[in-house]
Amino acid sequence: MVSERLLNIIMLIEVALLALAVSLFFLHGVWLHLTARRMDRLSKTGRESLARLVMRGIVNVEDIEVLKNLPPDVQNITVLEISRSLSGAGKERLRFVAQQVGVVDRARALCQHRRWTHRLRGARILSGLDIPDPLVLKLLADRHPAVRAQAAEWAAAQPSVEVISAMLELLADPATQARFAVQNALLRMGNVIAGPLSTFLETHSDRAAGAGLRVAESVAEPRFLTSALRLSHAENIGVREAAAKLLGAIAGAEAAARLVEMLADSDSHVRAAAASALGRMHYWQAGSQLAERLRDPRWRVRREAGLALRAIGAPGTLLLRRALKGDDRFAADMAQQVLDLPEAAAG
Amino acid sequence: MREIIAAFVTQFLVKGQFAVLLYFLAVNGWYLVLLVSSLLELRRHMLLIADESRHLLLSSTLSPTISILAPAYNEEATIETDGSKDRTVQVLIEKFDLVPVKTIYERNIQTKLVRSLYRSSTYPGLVVVDKENGGKADALNVGLSFARGELVCAMDADTLIEADGLQRMVRPFLYSTDVVATGGTIRVVNGSLVKHGRVQKTAVPSHLLAGIQVVEYLRAFLFGRLGWNRLGGNIIISGAFGLFQREAVLQAGGYLHDTVGEDMELVVRLKRLSYERGGPGKIAFVPDPVAWTEVPETTKVLGRQRDRWHRGLADVLWRHRRMLFNPRYGVTGLFVYPYYAFVELLAPVIEAVGLVSLVLGLALGVVDWNFAGLFYLTAYGLGTALTAFTLILEDLSFHRYNTFRDRALLFWWALLENMGYRQLTVYWRVRGLWRFLRGRKEWGTMERKGFRPVTAPS
Repeated sequence: MVSERLLNIIMLIEVALLALAVSLFFLHGVWLHLTARRMDRLSKTGRESLARLVMRGIVNVEDIEVLKNLPPDVQNITVLEISRSLSGAGKERLRFVAQQVGVVDRARALCQHRRWTHRLRGARILSGLDIPDPLVLKLLADRHPAVRAQAAEWAAAQPSVEVISAMLELLADPATQARFAVQNALLRMGNVIAGPLSTFLETHSDRAAGAGLRVAESVAEPRFLTSALRLSHAENIGVREAAAKLLGAIAGAEAAARLVEMLADSDSHVRAAAASALGRMHYWQAGSQLAERLRDPRWRVRREAGLALRAIGAPGTLLLRRALKGDDRFAADMAQQVLDLPEAAAG
Repeated sequence: MREIIAAFVTQFLVKGQFAVLLYFLAVNGWYLVLLVSSLLELRRHMLLIADESRHLLLSSTLSPTISILAPAYNEEATIETDGSKDRTVQVLIEKFDLVPVKTIYERNIQTKLVRSLYRSSTYPGLVVVDKENGGKADALNVGLSFARGELVCAMDADTLIEADGLQRMVRPFLYSTDVVATGGTIRVVNGSLVKHGRVQKTAVPSHLLAGIQVVEYLRAFLFGRLGWNRLGGNIIISGAFGLFQREAVLQAGGYLHDTVGEDMELVVRLKRLSYERGGPGKIAFVPDPVAWTEVPETTKVLGRQRDRWHRGLADVLWRHRRMLFNPRYGVTGLFVYPYYAFVELLAPVIEAVGLVSLVLGLALGVVDWNFAGLFYLTAYGLGTALTAFTLILEDLSFHRYNTFRDRALLFWWALLENMGYRQLTVYWRVRGLWRFLRGRKEWGTMERKGFRPVTAPS
């Protein structure tokens, strides 16, 4: 039998652990309650002072002093929460106040901290305030993906040549886990990225090019045409698919001619993307090739071809009706489904 | 006869008691490791999400698109409290102003017949598929075929996802191309105030069964699944709230029909295929997206649910038994799978043996009451302490239960859990295992009360 003495010892340890857990649980509750009350009070004071400074545009020394006397956490919270709803002159005034109060200096120090969590916090504050600080630019090459992603978010509001080229380099980084943040930031920069992105696409043909193509598709500048045509022959399926989508967004005779060729690509994703792009362009001249794709062995290609035929108007509808009477039952089935679609669902 | 039984029980108690106690301590010791792991993971996660801005995700054309799949059968009480049976589609048509539509979809997976398709005039994003009943897996497979999103969120029709839950769930997919599925936290809605499909005010239920399940769910999600994130990955994502790469699920063949643990089976299969074929295979648990679900408040329904869960677990582990201790499947084969097999699956059997021997020992006078009480308290004491630490984890991170009443109730339910409730779940799980061995695969019925605007205590 297990000795009672052993059970007693184990029991004592367990009781001690339980008592510790319960004390911590309730004490933490009390602490949370008190902290919440204190934070509410201080935040209210901070918000009122900050609102007066930012909205009225008058530099009131008393309000600055009130903000300076708040704990750093409260300063950060109040500054960041108001920054989301400000732009232009209001944001400029907020930056000034944040500088005066010490929020900016603290954030800069955090950006240089050895712990990634601190660097992330620093980058978030400077991003929230849209401060063009070279320290955040450096963070685009940070060891931690979350910090790199945050730096990319900051970069969206800083579309300088230096920042754009650093961002494009991140697209080429195969290890980056912040690709979405980088692509999204490039997209938010707008047409200013067209030149550097075009150069980037001319010199890359790997996965990074695929990521670049997806950004280019949203900008859809004619200057991407040469790269899109070149990359439509890339080995990587994803790159070819993205090139087809970009060609569809740019449109034009050259793009259409290449897209028609791509309808015969060895990969179904590329064929489907090409068919969809031709439909998007309303390129009725490709009607017969699209009708041919209704016989494709892959469902997704047949679907995109059918929808593209419907999108190009009367010639496409005629070809769909013909497919109904054809010998290929898959083509006929898809044609029937597309023709059955209500007007609003087509394309 | 009595002497023979007494001699046998004595022998068993002498030799087996130490083993049972050791087993309890080993299991709880491992839970302690999980608790520390989840504490570290939670700290990292809280630092990562502090002050993050998720609004960019909503406005970006690059954000992955999500289709939500919510199989509904006999859910009219959840949709509208008319209380009638088998009118789910009619209630949906009336409630959401549905009109019949046609669409093109690929029959990727063989499913039961689709009768008709509707789209809501009020909410154009809502599509309702009316099909022959073929079980939850069949409905999800139809949903997978109709879905257009890159990601699909599988949820229960009676689950309430918090407003920014999906934005939070999608993060791992953006940070790593290796992620195939993510799961969020499920919390108990019983006792909370629900208005317009949102939880307005959280409260710990005062109902015994629902209250204990709050503690159970916190423990399962906050230290069970979160702990595994750091120790090699999860193999469970709740069927009530999970986000998957649609293409990966289709390539894996969708949900299996002939299992009651279709959600876990899919996750294990995705994980297994990632080792066998390559490709994405990371299963991430994200603690901050929350979905609220109604839990059973009667022992009858709860028993059926636990029985089904355990049958599902046994079935999944049996189907993928080749992963056990197989180095080809990395950490999953060497650590995660054995944990589920030897701790999650077999724990109720060991526990039942220990309890039955103790009761027999008492009945036959082999064990005295003092010793039995001490043994019982020792065996369950560490588990209670660990549960109390889980409550601290919740308090340190999300602190959804703020009032003194809620705290006191949580602690009270944590204490009460081992005084009968746990033993009941042991019985139900052993019954589930027995039924699995006998080949039973039915679901049983869940009685829905619907989300009524319950007034939470202040």
